Amino acid sequence: MRYEPNEDQAALFAALERLTASEDARWAVAPGEARCDWSARLDALIEENGFFDAAAEETLGPVAAAETVRRLAALPVLVEASASALLRPALAPDLPRPLAVLPAGPGAVAPFLPLARAVLRIGEAGVEAATLAEGDVETVESLHAYPMGRLAREDLAWTRLEADPAVAADLWRTALAAELAGVLQGGLDAVVAHVTERRQFGRPLGSFQGIQHRLAGAAVKIEGARWLALRAAEARTPADPPEALGYAQRISTEVCYDLHQFMGAMGLTLEHPLHRWTGRARWLRSALGGADAALRLAASRRWGEGAAA
Amino acid sequence: MDFDWSAADRAYRERIRAFLERELPADWARLSREGPGSKAVTDFSREFCPKLAAEGLLVPHWPAEWGGADRPTWEHFILGEEMWAANEPRGAQYMNVNWIGPTLMRFGSPEQKARYIPPMAQGRAIWCQGFSEPDAGSDLAALRTRAERDGDDYVVNGTKIWTSYAGLADTCFLLARVPGEGGGGKSAIVILLVPMDTPGIEVRPIPSLIGRGDIHETFFSDVRVPASARLGEEGQAWSIISYALANERVGIPRYELGAEVLAETVRQLKAQGRFDDPVVQSRAGAASAACEAARMLVHRVVDQRARGVAPGPESNIARVAVIGAEHAVTDFAADFLPEAFSGDAHPLIQAHHERAIVAGIAAGAAEIQLNLIASRHLNLPRETS
Repeated sequence: MRYEPNEDQAALFAALERLTASEDARWAVAPGEARCDWSARLDALIEENGFFDAAAEETLGPVAAAETVRRLAALPVLVEASASALLRPALAPDLPRPLAVLPAGPGAVAPFLPLARAVLRIGEAGVEAATLAEGDVETVESLHAYPMGRLAREDLAWTRLEADPAVAADLWRTALAAELAGVLQGGLDAVVAHVTERRQFGRPLGSFQGIQHRLAGAAVKIEGARWLALRAAEARTPADPPEALGYAQRISTEVCYDLHQFMGAMGLTLEHPLHRWTGRARWLRSALGGADAALRLAASRRWGEGAAA
Repeated sequence: MDFDWSAADRAYRERIRAFLERELPADWARLSREGPGSKAVTDFSREFCPKLAAEGLLVPHWPAEWGGADRPTWEHFILGEEMWAANEPRGAQYMNVNWIGPTLMRFGSPEQKARYIPPMAQGRAIWCQGFSEPDAGSDLAALRTRAERDGDDYVVNGTKIWTSYAGLADTCFLLARVPGEGGGGKSAIVILLVPMDTPGIEVRPIPSLIGRGDIHETFFSDVRVPASARLGEEGQAWSIISYALANERVGIPRYELGAEVLAETVRQLKAQGRFDDPVVQSRAGAASAACEAARMLVHRVVDQRARGVAPGPESNIARVAVIGAEHAVTDFAADFLPEAFSGDAHPLIQAHHERAIVAGIAAGAAEIQLNLIASRHLNLPRETS
């Protein structure tokens, strides 16, 4: 039992911190009133520096990959990390990225599809991948703060990967849980900074106990989501990944409500990044059927189906 | 980062479980329903704890000098988890093991150590905690019980309330204030180790929701205590209390009983074919996730302790998560297995329900924890700024 990163993990996170402190990771209002701003440059830097290969390194592992996803998700700018950090090393290390993961169902809309160079789909029968070319995807306007798109044609050249779809699905749950924990952390940090500076009634907003208690409560929930996601990356027990995802999805609604409340009118603008995090949380909390589906799956893995054991 | 137990830790847990399996009577669930301060459980603990001691499972983390085996922090914590999961068969003696013993080892006089530590290590000492007062609860430093110096003695007058386990305790870990110039504040507080049979002490049990014999009013009328019963020096008490409470920061591993009660509730629902409902399954999953989040956050604090890192706001975060988990579990049982709350077929679910109410109040209310998280973890400005 060890909560501290090992030496290699600590070095990885320190390097990541240097990259994410750079100009490329900083908040800037996106042109054209866009709801998201994918940072091609930061994304490329993260890839070039090997962060998306961490899961396959023995001394780093999926835990370090999940923590990388979480830290990147806390940034106001967007990087495609969840699929690249957790799924790609395990399923198809040579697949071009950015990657998108296609949800089930006809006409499904997925984050990152408009800029992805390959797409994955995880079905019950197997895991498939296809590379994407010009014209394969149409962009969809969305309230979700990702570049959203759908396939323009169904007849892509899908390749069946040699992968256990159940393992892939759990990796994806873990990645989404880590991403959501990071998204909520990014939003919380921004709101804490705001209520620390913003003064009303002659004192900082953050000195009011009514605000302190709710933000402290949000911090407790987000910390829980963080450690559950990291533990899920170790794949110790089958219930861990859906439990981590369901927990993060379940808390996200009330946490996002409080974040917007305490950011006030500033949080309604496109000049402040809060909407980047809450917009991503809106998609993440619905992913794979949402909290109820994940928690039911966790319950059935823990206790079996409805019938008496 | 590695969230798995070592093989040695697993084996240790198995050893404790096997011991409990062997030593707990068949009707233990019903007996323990009475609560850790009850006569029934106190009497039981006086038999059970010496057996634990003989097995090396009472104070393994204590130094060998005091009857322990210098075992690591994690083993101490695993022991606490398994005991709480079994509804705490050590009764009130868990306090000795966790903090009273270690605090006396560090700050006690040679006479105090020789007198009080061996009976704790043998499993036959019951202590109570004379902290809260009618006007000093969350604001503990406002306590008013007076300890006036008279020659070689202190004369104690005042009232304590919510005193856990006072009815059957042998000794009280008592906080009082020495009146005098500038006698307010923390520096005037002293800790006195007071035998409960000292003349002038009157204990009145307070009927409560949380088991028999758990909380009391304790009245001190001209109670004469020798100065040699003072723990540490005058003026040192607050730092001793901080040390003592640091050993109890994350408190009781309540999520262990919570997870146990959740599993029991699910078993009951399945047996009756009521676990097919997707709403029930989702809520069970949510309660379990809350327990696991609490477990992770508590273990983070234990990990810090094991590595010698000074305690920080992580312990306050863990406490709040534990309270949330307790309520998620008991709300699940209350919503979907309401019949468990009547009759005597489900003592564990009932005991847990009442403990869940206590979880957010005992050892520092949830709101105090939230204050501390706001100031120490989020660095939010203080109310007065």
